[in-house]
Amino acid sequence: MVISQSVSAAPRRRRLQLGGYVPLIPPTTILLLFFALPVGMMIGLSLQSATPGIFSLEHYADFFTDDLALDGLQRTLIMSGIVALCVTTMAYPIAYFLARSTSRWRAIVFGIAIAPELAGVVLRTYGWLVILEKNGFINTMLMQMGLIQEPLPLMNNMFGAVVGLTHVLLPFGILSLLTSLQGIDQNLEKSAQILGASRLSVLRHVVLPLSLPGIISSFLIAFTLSASAYATPALLGGMRFRVLATMIYNEVMVLVNWPAAAVMAIVLLVIVVAIAFLSARTENRIVSRLHVR
Amino acid sequence: MKIRKYVVCLVGLTMGLGTTAALSQDLIVNGQGGPYEDLIQEAIIKPFMAETGLTVLYDPVGSASQDYAKIKASNGFPGWDVNVMTAAQSLDGCKDGLLAPITAHQVPNLASIDTAVQRLAGDCGAVHELQYVALLYRTDKIQPAPTSWNALGDPELDGKIVLPQFRNAMAAQMLQIYSAAAGNDPNDVDPGFSKMVELAPRALAFVETSALMDPYIRDGEAWAMPYYSGRSALMKAEGLPVDFIVPEEGTVPLIATLNVPVNAEHKEAAYRFIDYWLSKTGQESWAQAYQVGTARPDVDLPAEFRANQLTTREDIQKLILPDLATMATRIPEWSDRWEREVVPAAR
Repeated sequence: MVISQSVSAAPRRRRLQLGGYVPLIPPTTILLLFFALPVGMMIGLSLQSATPGIFSLEHYADFFTDDLALDGLQRTLIMSGIVALCVTTMAYPIAYFLARSTSRWRAIVFGIAIAPELAGVVLRTYGWLVILEKNGFINTMLMQMGLIQEPLPLMNNMFGAVVGLTHVLLPFGILSLLTSLQGIDQNLEKSAQILGASRLSVLRHVVLPLSLPGIISSFLIAFTLSASAYATPALLGGMRFRVLATMIYNEVMVLVNWPAAAVMAIVLLVIVVAIAFLSARTENRIVSRLHVR
Repeated sequence: MKIRKYVVCLVGLTMGLGTTAALSQDLIVNGQGGPYEDLIQEAIIKPFMAETGLTVLYDPVGSASQDYAKIKASNGFPGWDVNVMTAAQSLDGCKDGLLAPITAHQVPNLASIDTAVQRLAGDCGAVHELQYVALLYRTDKIQPAPTSWNALGDPELDGKIVLPQFRNAMAAQMLQIYSAAAGNDPNDVDPGFSKMVELAPRALAFVETSALMDPYIRDGEAWAMPYYSGRSALMKAEGLPVDFIVPEEGTVPLIATLNVPVNAEHKEAAYRFIDYWLSKTGQESWAQAYQVGTARPDVDLPAEFRANQLTTREDIQKLILPDLATMATRIPEWSDRWEREVVPAAR
C-alpha cells in the first residue's frame, strides 16, 4: 500500500510541474509568432545578396562604411541620450511629489502628467510644430517683445526633435519613477530627519540612492522609445536631421531597399538590447549593494 | 470541451466578420486622400457604381510609393484591387511580377489610349491621366510672369521658393529638367544636381508631399515653386492669384496609371473599373474634375482647357521624355547624392 502510494505520487508531481508551464503557452506562442519570427525574417533579409539564394554580409559592410548611415546612427544615439536625460530629470520632481504628497492637488498633478498620453503622438507633435515653427507661438512672442529680431531656429533640427520627444515620453518616465519612489519606506526618510539631516541631505543620501533602479528604468524606457521613434523626429527634426528610424522609412517606402532597411533595424535593435542589458545589470548590482548595506 | 466550443465560436465569428466585410463591397480602390478623394468619388466612383451596380470601397491611405511598398510587402496582395500609381512604379511592379498585366482584351478601352503614351507605362499600367511639372507662381508678387526655370534662382525670390524633398517624385523630375536644359540626357543628372545645390539655400522649405507644398503658395509665404499642372490648375480655378507655365526649357510629364496587384481579390471588377475610367465619358469627366490631361485622343474638351493640359500626342512629344526604366535604376544613387549634396546646402 505504501509502495503504491509513493509510485503514484511521482507522476502526479511531474504532472503538476508541467501544468505550471501551461499558462506560458499562449504568451510564448504570441511572442514567437509576432516577435521572433519577424525578427528572424528581418535577419534573413539583411543577409540577402543581390544573387538570389546566396547570403552575404554586403549590406552590413555597406552600412558600416557609409558615412551618412553612421551619421544617422550617431545622431540617433545622441538624440536618445539627451531625451532620456531630459525625461528622467523632469520626471523625477513630479514623481517625487506624486509619491509623497497628500495634497488634494496630487490627483490633478497626476492627471496633468499623464494626460498627454491620451492624445496621439502625431497630434502632440503637431502641437509642438505650431509652437516651435518660424512664425510659431514662441518666435512671434519673442519678436513682439523685442527680444529677438530674427526667428530662432527652434525646429527642423535636434532641438525640435528633443523637445517633442521629451514631451511625448515624459509620462513614461513619471510612471517608472513613481513606482520606484513609492517602494521606498518613508520611515527611512523620517529617521534621517529625526537624526538631524536636512531635507536636501535626505533626498541626496537616502531617496536618490534608493530610487536609482527607477532612474535607470526611466532612462532606459525613454532611450529605447526615442531611438525607435519615427513621427516626432520626422516632423520636428526636418529634412536635415535624419535618424535611423526616418532612414529606415526612406529605404522601405521610397527606395524599396529592404535589405538595407533590415540592416539599419537590426543595428538599432542590437544597440538598444545591449543598452537594456547593461542597464539591467547595473540596476541589479545597485539593488544588491543596497540590500547588503 | 468548453474551451473547444469557445475556440470554434471565436473562429466562426472571426470568419463570419471577415466574410461579411469581404462581401460588403465588390471592389477596393486605393488612391490619394484629401480633395482628390471627393473628386474621384463624384467623377468616377459614383457614376461607375450607378452604371454597373457594383459597390466600391475607396481607400485613401498612403502615397503611391507607400502603396507600392505595401504591394511588395504583401507579395501582390495588399488588400485592394485597383491602385493609382505612376508609370515608373508600373514598370517596376511589372518587372518584379507584383502587378498584373492589363490587356485590351480585359480592358477594351485601353485600345483607345494613345499607343505611344501607353508604351511609356509598360504592360501593367493603364494610363488614365497626364500631368506635367509646371512652374507655379503668385501673380500678385511676380511681375512680369517668369518664362524660365532659372526664375527660381532669381535673387528677388530668395527665401520665397519651395522645393520638393527627394521623397517627392518631383525632386527627381527637377533634376531631369535642369539636366535636359543644360543639353544633357535627362537621366545624366550632374547639371541638375549643380542647379539644385545652387537653389537649396534660397528655398524657404523642402517639402515631402505635393499636398504639403500647397499652403506655402496659398498663404503667400512662397512666391514660386515647381508643381504639378493638375493641382496648379485647381488652385487657379479657386480664384487664387496664381498662374502656371511650361518654362521655355520644357518640362517632364507625370504619367499616372491604374494598376491591379497581381494577387488582387476582385480582378474582374478591377478591370471593369479601369475600363470605365478609360472610357470617353470617364476620361472627359476626370480630366475636367481634376484639371488634368488625358492620353485618349478622341475626348471632347474645351479649347481653353486643352491649352493648359496634355491632351494630344503632339503635346507629349514637345516634352522632355526621360527613359523611366533607366530612371528607376538610378533613384537609389540619386537619393544618396541628394543627401550628400543638396541637403547640406539647404538653409
